[in-house]
Amino acid sequence: MKQTIQSENLALLFRAAAEKYGELPAFATRQKASEWKPVSYRELYQQGLNLATGLIELGVEAREHVGLFGDNRFEWILSDYAVQLCGAADVPRGRDVTDVELVYIINHAGIRLAFVETRELQDRLLGLRSQLPELREIILLDPKVEPGEGVRKLLDICDFGSMLRERGDRRAEDRIAGIQPDDLFTLIYTSGTTGTPKGVMLTHANMVSQVRNIPGSYNCTDRVLSVLPIWHIFERVMEMYTISFGGCTYYSGIQTLGEDMKNVEPTFMASAPRLWEKLHERIMRNIKASHPVRQVLFHIAYFLSRQYKGSEYFITNKNLKVNPQPMWKRILLMPFHLLRWAVVLPWYGFFNAAVLERIRLGAGGSLKATISGGGALPLHIDKFFNNVGIPVLEGYGMTETSPVISVRSMDNLVVGTVGPPLPETKVQIRNSDTREVIYPNAGLPDNGKGIRGEIWVRGPQVMKGYYKEPALTRLSFHDGWLRTGDLGIITHNDCLKILGRCKATIVLSSGENVEPEPIEMRLLESQYIEQCMVVGQDRKFLGTLIVPVFAEFQQAGFPVHSPEDLAINPAVQKIIREEIKRVISQAEGFKSFEQIRDFRILKESFQVGEELTNLHKVKRHIVYEKFDHIIADLYASDSAKPLKNPCNGI
Amino acid sequence: MEFNTQLLYGHDQALLALMIFVIMLGMGSSLTVDDFRAVARKPRGVLIGFISQFGLMPFLAFTLATILKMPPAFAIALILIGCLPGGTTSNMFAYFSRGSVALSISMTTASTVMALLMMPIILKLYTGGFTSQITASMQDSGSGAEFVIPTGNIISSLVLVLIPVALGMILRRKSPVWAKTAEDTAGFVAILVILYLLLTAFIRHGGLFVRTPVEVYIGAIGIGLAGFFFGYWFSRLLGVFPLFQRAISLETGIQNGPVSFAIILLSFQEPFQSQMLWMAILYSTFIVMTSSIITLYFRKHGRFDWEIYRNTIIHNRLFGEKYVTEYPGGFLPGRLLRDPSQGHSPSQRR
Repeated sequence: MKQTIQSENLALLFRAAAEKYGELPAFATRQKASEWKPVSYRELYQQGLNLATGLIELGVEAREHVGLFGDNRFEWILSDYAVQLCGAADVPRGRDVTDVELVYIINHAGIRLAFVETRELQDRLLGLRSQLPELREIILLDPKVEPGEGVRKLLDICDFGSMLRERGDRRAEDRIAGIQPDDLFTLIYTSGTTGTPKGVMLTHANMVSQVRNIPGSYNCTDRVLSVLPIWHIFERVMEMYTISFGGCTYYSGIQTLGEDMKNVEPTFMASAPRLWEKLHERIMRNIKASHPVRQVLFHIAYFLSRQYKGSEYFITNKNLKVNPQPMWKRILLMPFHLLRWAVVLPWYGFFNAAVLERIRLGAGGSLKATISGGGALPLHIDKFFNNVGIPVLEGYGMTETSPVISVRSMDNLVVGTVGPPLPETKVQIRNSDTREVIYPNAGLPDNGKGIRGEIWVRGPQVMKGYYKEPALTRLSFHDGWLRTGDLGIITHNDCLKILGRCKATIVLSSGENVEPEPIEMRLLESQYIEQCMVVGQDRKFLGTLIVPVFAEFQQAGFPVHSPEDLAINPAVQKIIREEIKRVISQAEGFKSFEQIRDFRILKESFQVGEELTNLHKVKRHIVYEKFDHIIADLYASDSAKPLKNPCNGI
Repeated sequence: MEFNTQLLYGHDQALLALMIFVIMLGMGSSLTVDDFRAVARKPRGVLIGFISQFGLMPFLAFTLATILKMPPAFAIALILIGCLPGGTTSNMFAYFSRGSVALSISMTTASTVMALLMMPIILKLYTGGFTSQITASMQDSGSGAEFVIPTGNIISSLVLVLIPVALGMILRRKSPVWAKTAEDTAGFVAILVILYLLLTAFIRHGGLFVRTPVEVYIGAIGIGLAGFFFGYWFSRLLGVFPLFQRAISLETGIQNGPVSFAIILLSFQEPFQSQMLWMAILYSTFIVMTSSIITLYFRKHGRFDWEIYRNTIIHNRLFGEKYVTEYPGGFLPGRLLRDPSQGHSPSQRR
């Protein structure tokens, strides 16, 4: 039996899934730790048809834009189903949307009907009504809340639609038949680094191509734990992908994640790098607190795993290859790796079973793979999870590419890269100034592999454009290629490696260009540093803002009672200073101008919605604005004491 | 064949005794009284396992020893290995081979207790021919003594190794954290013991590996493989679910090596002691490798039915005991159409 469903559009995907997977659970929502409420594929499709019919009765046209404001819950996915089934497109945003954004999005997208999740959102929307001339209908998702004046209840519309369908109403089926591949299924407004939000137009063909091309072999026994914001494109592609193989999506949340992992035993999940960092921190802290015998056992196990995997990757040609590797070197090293692999194997086998499995059980114990996306995964986290046997497949993409451009797969597990581009997807590396093609370029050694440049992409997942922004759309494309604005290289085993944002580049007053991200990733490897941002645009040297790991200092017995105390404690300052010196040194491969001369400890951590995007990417311009005085202070005195580097004299 | 090497001296024996103590303590630490009750609740699987462990395995050992025409002391050791109870390593292998850990624990528990009764009977049944060979050779050399299986000593050594098991169970009751540490340490120590014994044998008597007759190697490797093979097919032909087939197969092939060390040290005299011990060491060494390979095979082979089994368990855990998972028609192969769900062992719930 064929494992997955391929279809022309999402509505047909929903229908095929209902026919094929029938009574299997499609989505499950948490009531209590061990009490979840499932909804089957058939039921969801039926309810979706009912709601779609209700929406059509309310006047929703084919290809109309329908607002969908709220976070993860069953009613959200039901509304999404209904919007697709009546041939419309949704315009989603989370509860954290600001009033200004709401007004802009609703008016710009021409939204006439909007779903709101909570009473709070409903009240805000009602309050803004005078600024929203076109908005006619508001539908409340939360069934436990009484709707305000002029607001409809979701369940009422479902019931009404159900009644119409019982009388033979088949308008939803007609709408499904009328969906074209080029029709939008969603219009996602990205917050954008500057200025107004941009509406990314994504079509059924875009999403369907993702479902078709994302690698992996899953079936209807798989359980997918969902923690990402439901309306984010990364989560939406996961949902559609899961529907195609008949798995069940379990909605979890950051608060209950640890518990849910143990109860649901997910086989697959996706998340932003931050989650893996948190999980890593927690595992390491548990190990530190465990019995000394267990600690030793863990370190032996981890050491053996590193040796074993190192040789395995070398033998199977999956080691990171930024530089070309001559054949003779490979032949010379091969016997060593074969020997090491064979010698370590039995020991690794035992320790993997006795020690590392315990750690995997902390994540449920059944994970076949996990995808990390929405930001760069620090290399040490990447290596850690792959070494303990939880394969983290890092992916790369953007909302504009719905979103996956490339992803590591189990067959192509090159740690440190984001894997090869998806099938049907072409990637070029171009010089971002001259637009010259670097890869593929037969005129360059190795066809241009290993040389950095801007990533350009072309494929079935690339958006139709920015809604009502033809000028902006033209700027983003060049000869049919989408310019991603990210820097990367193609490795010598044909994987893509991301090196940072073009825009994040810091230009020092000396004229040197510095990519802050690799430096930040190294800083984050320190157990003492929770968050950081490297600054120094137009300055003489680099500095960094640091948010220390409070628990680490507290555990080490420092007299600190709140994160604010850290900022003024000289001992903490000293430790951080030494940490920076240690990780960003010439011995670690950083050039002298890439070294951090000074830093400031922040009193509070970066927050989602403030300094961080929903996927925990630092919004650099916000940090620059918000901590302007601190950054000014950092560069105030020219006598800022340079961090002495032990390697400088050599 | 000439095999008159004394393998262990006084202090080695003391060290070995200590290690056996640690391993058996670890085994006890992984068990609870409820595990014994679980045996009574689900007797079918345990019964099949029992027949496989105490019926099939000793017979296989006897057959191997006879066909290979093994020297009598090695043959007796092989039969002794054949009727040993299961150890905790088999539980770990059962887990990784996607077999039923609950059944594996139940079988280990049941066989450890039943060994007290079964081992003397089985040894008497199968070793007669070999003991008389030894007696004959001893009389030829003029010592005039008679070689008999020291049944009383075997029972008392079994009782002796059960003491740390009981202590471990008490430890588990008093302090689960310490019990877990004891369990982990035991697994590690088990490997150290085998390595230590192999290394001392190698350093002191390097020629031993060469002088050991090839049929002894074949017996040491073959008994485990035969146990896996026949245990698997025996349970499969009886219509047991795949999950249980894998557990029974591994439990049949993997025996409690340290128990045999204890019995041999406490019940047999030189020169037979060293010969028998050597057999037990070789078995313990090879079984780690063969069971690893078998586990990898089972793991791959059993992946599909395991996923379905796990999914059913989790659906019932989250959606209520009454929830029935309905897979689309044609998805489940015929052998899995009957409900593969089963009870949990108390030790599995941590």
